[in-house]
Amino acid sequence: MIVLNEITKTYPTLNGVNVVLKGISAVFPERKNVGIIGRNGAGKSTLMRLISGSEQPDSGTIFRRGRVSWPVGFSGGFSGSLTGAQNARFVARIYGMDIDAVAAFANAFSELGEYFYMPVKTYSSGMRARLAFALSMAIDFDVYLVDEITAVGDSRFQKKCRAAFDDRRDRSTLIIVSHDMTTISNYCDTCAWLRNGQLHFYDTIEEAKAAYECYGP
Amino acid sequence: MHPILVQIQVVYALIMRETRTRFGLNRLGYLWAILEPMLFIATFALVFRIFGRVAPERMPIVPFLATGFMPYLLFRETSGRGLHAIEANRGLLFYPQVRPLDLVLARVLLEIATSFVAFAIIVGVYCVYSGQFEVADPLQVVIGFGLAAGIGASLGLILCAASVFSTLVERLHGPLIRPLFWFSGLMYPTGHLPLAYRTLLSYNPIVHAVELTRAGYFRGYRADHVGVAYPLMWIAILAFLGLTLERVARRRLVLS
Repeated sequence: MIVLNEITKTYPTLNGVNVVLKGISAVFPERKNVGIIGRNGAGKSTLMRLISGSEQPDSGTIFRRGRVSWPVGFSGGFSGSLTGAQNARFVARIYGMDIDAVAAFANAFSELGEYFYMPVKTYSSGMRARLAFALSMAIDFDVYLVDEITAVGDSRFQKKCRAAFDDRRDRSTLIIVSHDMTTISNYCDTCAWLRNGQLHFYDTIEEAKAAYECYGP
Repeated sequence: MHPILVQIQVVYALIMRETRTRFGLNRLGYLWAILEPMLFIATFALVFRIFGRVAPERMPIVPFLATGFMPYLLFRETSGRGLHAIEANRGLLFYPQVRPLDLVLARVLLEIATSFVAFAIIVGVYCVYSGQFEVADPLQVVIGFGLAAGIGASLGLILCAASVFSTLVERLHGPLIRPLFWFSGLMYPTGHLPLAYRTLLSYNPIVHAVELTRAGYFRGYRADHVGVAYPLMWIAILAFLGLTLERVARRRLVLS
């Protein structure tokens, strides 16, 4: 379970302070997959980094119960000069997991082939996302924070991701951000819309969809 | 799991990762760690010879220069690698348990290990070559290196945290550090200087680290004007500032 209490986040820019999140309060219950929708630049990725704890809010508190993943997405999480295998070993070490088991799982799941043994900076963004996704699956998290990447890869890989999440539906919770309603309706039970620095919750995906599409994508 | 155990786990993983990028990218990586101080020492040994100078009190030239350069290099490298810690590892800060402090710690520990191995190899090879081997007080040599690393590490932590706020730090670092090369007693024993200069140089904590290392290496080396307390005071102050600043910087860190 994750509870956000009056979270505010600003970033300094050349044109003054940019207020991204304006006092967000929310409860993400266990075993209920939540999708967060919003347009580009609405602050979705920022929210994910705050929930994971890799960045700190300006004010407000975040309560986490269970093991929360890092924001699994296209950017971050890797050192580009190391190979996929070496990055996998690093992640296994910082989460106190069996190194060889994690590396083997990530290799098999990511289907990167020989690229698994090449520096991550040679990867396309899709390949990076596949590695990130495979690594997060190798570690048993109670809450998965997923940033856009479920739409990655070919339909076969998407099916695999879907199956992996279905498989752990009874023990893991998924919080997913996307600008694409289809992704969210595929994975989530409820939906929230991040708009103007505020999080608006909807009881059903349909309601959220109607509101979001009415507003104009 | 206890937070301190998590941190140990993280620092260990980061050391393994740094080992790859520090040494693994080209095959000359390990060699370069030894080659750089060797080039320094060889250059200055050559200069000494050209000008017909011998090391003071007939100390053998290679250990004399090595005990000066290597603590200094350790200081320079730890502070410099601290400065660039975030820039080189930004992607890894996405993992919530990895903090800027851990990045600096890992780099410093690896640098200390590298420096010791390089020092042992250079002095060892020289001893085999010259047939003489005597270290008066090995523990004091370790203390000298430790003080140099401590000053470099705590300064590196300040620089690392400050680099979050301004790129100016990176520009200022070189010009501010470089003069220390000439004012840290690397190629002369500060004990032989006129009192006024010696007193002035003694404000530089690196001088203490270097002279303590020398006094540990050479029996009878005069180093009464230096001590452990003064550099330790520097380390305490710099570390306090660094740890405080890192706390602030951690909150202001922008990952992407």
